[in-house]
Amino acid sequence: MIQLQALRKVFGQRVAVDGFDLRVPRGVVFGLLGHNGAGKSTTIGMLLGQVWPTSGEARVCGHDVFSNRSRALARVGAIFETPVFYDYLTGWRNLEILAGYTGPVAPERIREVVAWVGLTGRDQSPVRTYSHGMRARLALAQALLPAPELLILDEPTNGLDPEGIHEMRETIRRLHAELGLTILLSSHLLSEVQQLCSRITVLHQARKVFDGSLADATRTRNRVRLLTDDFPSAGTALHRDGLITGHEGGEFLTLAEGISPSTVVKRMVELGFPVHAIHREEETLENFYLSLVKNAAQTDPTPVTR
Amino acid sequence: MFLLQLKHELWKLFGKKRTYIGFGAFLLAQNAVILMFRFTKATGAIRRALEGGGYPAEAFLTATTIATQVVIPVAFLLLPLYVALVGGDLVAKEAEDGTLRMILARPISRLRLLTLKWLAGALFGISLSLMLGLFGWLFASIWFPQGGLFAIQLESGPAGGFAVFGTAEGAWRYVAAHALLATKAITIMGLAFLFSCFNMKPAAATIVALSVMFVNAILMNIPWFVDYKAWFITHHLNLWQWMFLQSPPRTRMAESLSLLVGFNLTFFAVGAAAFQMRDIKS
Repeated sequence: MIQLQALRKVFGQRVAVDGFDLRVPRGVVFGLLGHNGAGKSTTIGMLLGQVWPTSGEARVCGHDVFSNRSRALARVGAIFETPVFYDYLTGWRNLEILAGYTGPVAPERIREVVAWVGLTGRDQSPVRTYSHGMRARLALAQALLPAPELLILDEPTNGLDPEGIHEMRETIRRLHAELGLTILLSSHLLSEVQQLCSRITVLHQARKVFDGSLADATRTRNRVRLLTDDFPSAGTALHRDGLITGHEGGEFLTLAEGISPSTVVKRMVELGFPVHAIHREEETLENFYLSLVKNAAQTDPTPVTR
Repeated sequence: MFLLQLKHELWKLFGKKRTYIGFGAFLLAQNAVILMFRFTKATGAIRRALEGGGYPAEAFLTATTIATQVVIPVAFLLLPLYVALVGGDLVAKEAEDGTLRMILARPISRLRLLTLKWLAGALFGISLSLMLGLFGWLFASIWFPQGGLFAIQLESGPAGGFAVFGTAEGAWRYVAAHALLATKAITIMGLAFLFSCFNMKPAAATIVALSVMFVNAILMNIPWFVDYKAWFITHHLNLWQWMFLQSPPRTRMAESLSLLVGFNLTFFAVGAAAFQMRDIKS
């Protein structure tokens, strides 16, 4: 659905996006993570043909964005961080105007989308009377009007209160489940991404530092939880044998490089320790992200792909 | 599809209160000038000029004459201000507000968008010019009778004589002058639109456009540069006033008209090129 190849953008002396390769398959909710200024919005700008790349390629729905923008964006909807409209016009008129840039839209379709986002009854009021949450819903409605296959959401929960954030999260789930949309969600809110996305890419200082599934990101490769009768003795024995590099908290082991949980179980049995349970420890996306950023700051960030 | 999008541009333009500042200011200015003519001795000079030339003052001290006297200062000072305000807003205001980013997330080309916006601005310029003429005449009709047209020959300055026309001829000259006034409105709007396409604030686009016009007007009005007045755009923007000459110089008018078309095409092309190259960011 989205394909970026060696995409690069330089503003004056500042590199905003550096050699970004990305593939977003059809039907996923894909997270684009990164700190403020990491290059997320510039990437989205290039995806929509609003920002010219210094070099590289961007394809959306199979079409090159820069040479065939009208085809590439024909089935794309987008929402930006702060929903802005023509405040002096009604919500309905705003929808007519914005959707009109894609093509004529039947009033029935507008009515249907207005109902879907829950704005029925307020669509004839001027947008200046709308709350922030209602503006967010109107933004969603305008993005849905051209019946998109791909929805690009750039920080969609910015400025929303907790209720609004919850509502937006549920809406994104519905969009994916009910309409089968491919969704690219750009955010620096890790909990949002963790709850919604199945695949993520992390940008750090203009470069990609991770690209893979959320499961990969939140699964630690060397930390396991072990339930046994005498954990301290087992830990000492395993450490002595070079199978682990540490043990802590009465149940957590840090495996040595190249050692799998099955090797640990085998050795435990040989040493006569009962093994009630052993499994890899899940990591929070926040810890994963922070460790990525820390590593990237310490070394020249080489992209990691899983 | 194009007409539908143009209709939407017009909704946006005419839905804004600030679009009507120009109309409102015109109504105030026109009424102030007409009331001054009606309730002071200002018409005395016109009366003396007419009678001195052997014309009956009552036949030419009419609504059309007064409306013509009103339009000259309004078109010189107020019209450029309000069309530049709208032209400067067309692109830059949308960029400033963030709605431009919403629009350009759609599969519409930048050139098409600019064409729509320019046309909306041009329609505004036309409507403003025609409203100026219509309301001027209507308000003047409240206080003055219908009849012929007396017009100072501006081409050679206020002291350079006057022209008089019968009722029908005067009416058609008045209408034609306002139709040509629209070319001035469109050109100034187009200049502000050009600057609006660059990465600048709407107010800056308006001020830069007006500055260009004022500099042109200053240069054109320096007596020593009289031989070069055709070099200045403001000279050609006064095309509409030539309809009040006894014999309008048709060749010169056609020349000015074609130059204005050229100026407008150039403004649009430069603006479109700048806009095409720009990165649209929040």
